[in-house]
Amino acid sequence: MAEIAAIGIVKRFGGLVANDGVSISAERGEIHAVMGENGAGKTTLMSVLFGLLEPDAGEIRLRDVPVRFRSPIDAMRAGIGMVHQSFKLFDSLTVWENIVYGAEPARGLFIDRGAARGRVAELSERRRLAVDPDARVGDLSVGVRQRIEILKTLYRDARILILDEPTAVLTPPERDALFAVLKSLATDGRTILLVTHKLHEVTAITDRVTVLRDGRTIASLRTADTNAGEIVRAMTGRNVNLKMAKRAAPPGDAVLSADGVTIASSSGGRAVDHVSLTVRSGEIVGVAGVAGNGQNELIEALVGVRKPNAGQVSISGHDVTRADVATRRAVGLAYIPEDRAAVGSAPAAAAADNLAMGFHRRAPLASGPFINPSAFAAWARTLIRRFAIKIANERVNVGTLSGGNLQKIVVARELAHEAPALIAEQPTRGLDVAAAESIHAQIVAERDRGRAILLVSAELSEILALSDRVLVMFEGRILANLPREEADEHSVGLLMAGRGAEAA
Amino acid sequence: MRPLLRARLSRERLRPPPVILAIAFAALTGAALILASGHNPLNAYVEIVRGSLSPAAWPDTLNWATPLVGMALAAAIPLRGGMVNLGGDGQLVIGGLIGALAPVFLPVPGAVGAAAGLALAALGGGLYAALAAWGEVRHGVSMLISSLLLSYPAIGVTSYLARFPLRDVSTGLPQTMMIPPNARLPVLAEPLNAGSLLIAAIALAVIFIDRRTSAGYELRMRGKNSRFAGYGGVRLGPQAAWAMFFSGAVAGLVGATIVLGSQFRFIDGALLTPAYTWSGLMAALLASGEPVGTIAAALFFAALQTGGFAMQRETSVPRVLTLVLQAIVILFLAMRRGLGRRA
Repeated sequence: MAEIAAIGIVKRFGGLVANDGVSISAERGEIHAVMGENGAGKTTLMSVLFGLLEPDAGEIRLRDVPVRFRSPIDAMRAGIGMVHQSFKLFDSLTVWENIVYGAEPARGLFIDRGAARGRVAELSERRRLAVDPDARVGDLSVGVRQRIEILKTLYRDARILILDEPTAVLTPPERDALFAVLKSLATDGRTILLVTHKLHEVTAITDRVTVLRDGRTIASLRTADTNAGEIVRAMTGRNVNLKMAKRAAPPGDAVLSADGVTIASSSGGRAVDHVSLTVRSGEIVGVAGVAGNGQNELIEALVGVRKPNAGQVSISGHDVTRADVATRRAVGLAYIPEDRAAVGSAPAAAAADNLAMGFHRRAPLASGPFINPSAFAAWARTLIRRFAIKIANERVNVGTLSGGNLQKIVVARELAHEAPALIAEQPTRGLDVAAAESIHAQIVAERDRGRAILLVSAELSEILALSDRVLVMFEGRILANLPREEADEHSVGLLMAGRGAEAA
Repeated sequence: MRPLLRARLSRERLRPPPVILAIAFAALTGAALILASGHNPLNAYVEIVRGSLSPAAWPDTLNWATPLVGMALAAAIPLRGGMVNLGGDGQLVIGGLIGALAPVFLPVPGAVGAAAGLALAALGGGLYAALAAWGEVRHGVSMLISSLLLSYPAIGVTSYLARFPLRDVSTGLPQTMMIPPNARLPVLAEPLNAGSLLIAAIALAVIFIDRRTSAGYELRMRGKNSRFAGYGGVRLGPQAAWAMFFSGAVAGLVGATIVLGSQFRFIDGALLTPAYTWSGLMAALLASGEPVGTIAAALFFAALQTGGFAMQRETSVPRVLTLVLQAIVILFLAMRRGLGRRA
């Protein structure tokens, strides 16, 4: 008897079929991975299971009993809990207030604060999810916030937990701790549905894996009987080269450098603390670190949207510390930002307009102060072809594209600048294996053309796969500068968590 | 969510355009109101259309449309870049006063005085509006607030000047001296004057700049996503100042054309009573600052308002009805856009 089963789920959005007869079933006490490329229908399926969307056809069964969820409240009552990728917590409230919110133990009209706090403390101890019930959520790290989200579902005694890419924001030690918790919950008879892009996580902790493609269930495999290659084939319908071909690059002159860059943080400390780095032509320097350790501020200072309080930035020998973005781009900087929709593109504008940014003041797109719309279109078509972007035509608004194709728009435009220095920030976040592979290949190709590339990623595997040198950032400082040969998941993982700070 | 968006777009294609729906809905509501007040809605509507669109009514409609389109463009220029200029009234009166004073006090021949009045009015309105941009860029004062607040001292000071130091003492009214006839804008077809041609030329220039220049492209991209524009290398501070300058310059020009073309002196309050600024802002908001849509909306409002006068004259339905119709059209369209944004 399956703990939870979805049978023949169909969900249409207008003409688009997001789920086209998807079926999935998970046993009691099972950790079940849900995999698939972007747009395969994973999020839709999870939303249906959690009552956020009502299916057009198909059925959900809990222990063989058909159920119908009109809202997440129904789903929670039926024992389903969900940990979303972006946490849904109140920053200004304490941990226990967040956990009991919506299900507070009451005494008359009032919340029984003592009982609530006590229950949270007890639950946290029993589940080995260490949290301080009285801490303010706003002061806590992402890893701890995730624990709070899990505790929230357990507080409501969820029998089935859905986790949407839970490890995207964690350090390797935090990830291992999470996995230990998930395993103990499964042993306890709870069922875990784990949405993930990462193959090594699937092989590490799951019992079974369901693969979706184009809104259909392609395979339901027992993890022990399968391998990474088979899963990728099921996801993409083809073979994908998982290992990047690399060559040891003889680096050239320094192109991008920072010297003693210091940035004050809003809380009075230092978001970036005397950071110095140099990226030479023909090398990829990876900056590893858990999100929120000063990488964003450092990048902003390098790119020119923020003035550092102290220190110097130079590009190709020019001191650009006081220069604005336009000047730095003119000197020779291209930048793939972390947030492709909020920064890297104008989603409500056509692809032609998005691809023209930065090229719109010179020939062939412009002559004098005038722009040439047909040159805009031709330029966009060239890039769309060269980077194999899936889009109907250059007049389509890029906000309608999938994450992978929108990222290709950003990457295509930035690489087309052929700037000597390139900053790539989380270039494959949220992308599926095939899209990530193609962007990685392009970054390596740029390196081989002699560009100086600074790669910032919270994804350690990405850093290790591409970088020639690895810097580790922790609390605004660079803890280590390792040649690729000396960087491995263990050593860098410890540094990302701040251990080794004493030694450095 | 992306699939939702795609679905919405495909469904949208099958529906009648929202503008038609909005007008039809407004007409029906208006008809109910007219019926309730004991009149014949058909007659009233016929008079609105005849009073605004029949060939004999064109000069009147266009004369009313000129400042409305002008103020709509003044609102649309910053709005295209996601900025709002709420200070149109202040820029309008500054332009009006300068336009009224230049031909009277400058020691130049009439036509030159008029040209100088127009140019200085544009300059004055533009600089005054740019002040709001400077406040935001340098000191972080929201332009939405500062442009509106700057409007009041401008209105107050121009009012004071027209009432006291610069008053035409030969009349008892708060107004400046009469502009000599040779410095007035030539009449095209009473009451239409050359000011309309000037605003039409500006409208064409705004459309051209929007579509065919790098500056227009950068402003459009800022309107779609200002962080994207800044990241792409657009200098946002100077851009805000220029957009506000041109916005205020158009508003100032509108003030000067009214003064030089039909009122022939600065009369305290006369530029503000018709609320061109606000009708223009509505038109620009409806079109999100897209110039052609803004102009179309402004022309529509002008026709409605002109037709309202005729309706009031011919039937006894008060012309306030047309303002009700205008409000319903705006509400209906705004509601649809609001719903669209949520998806």
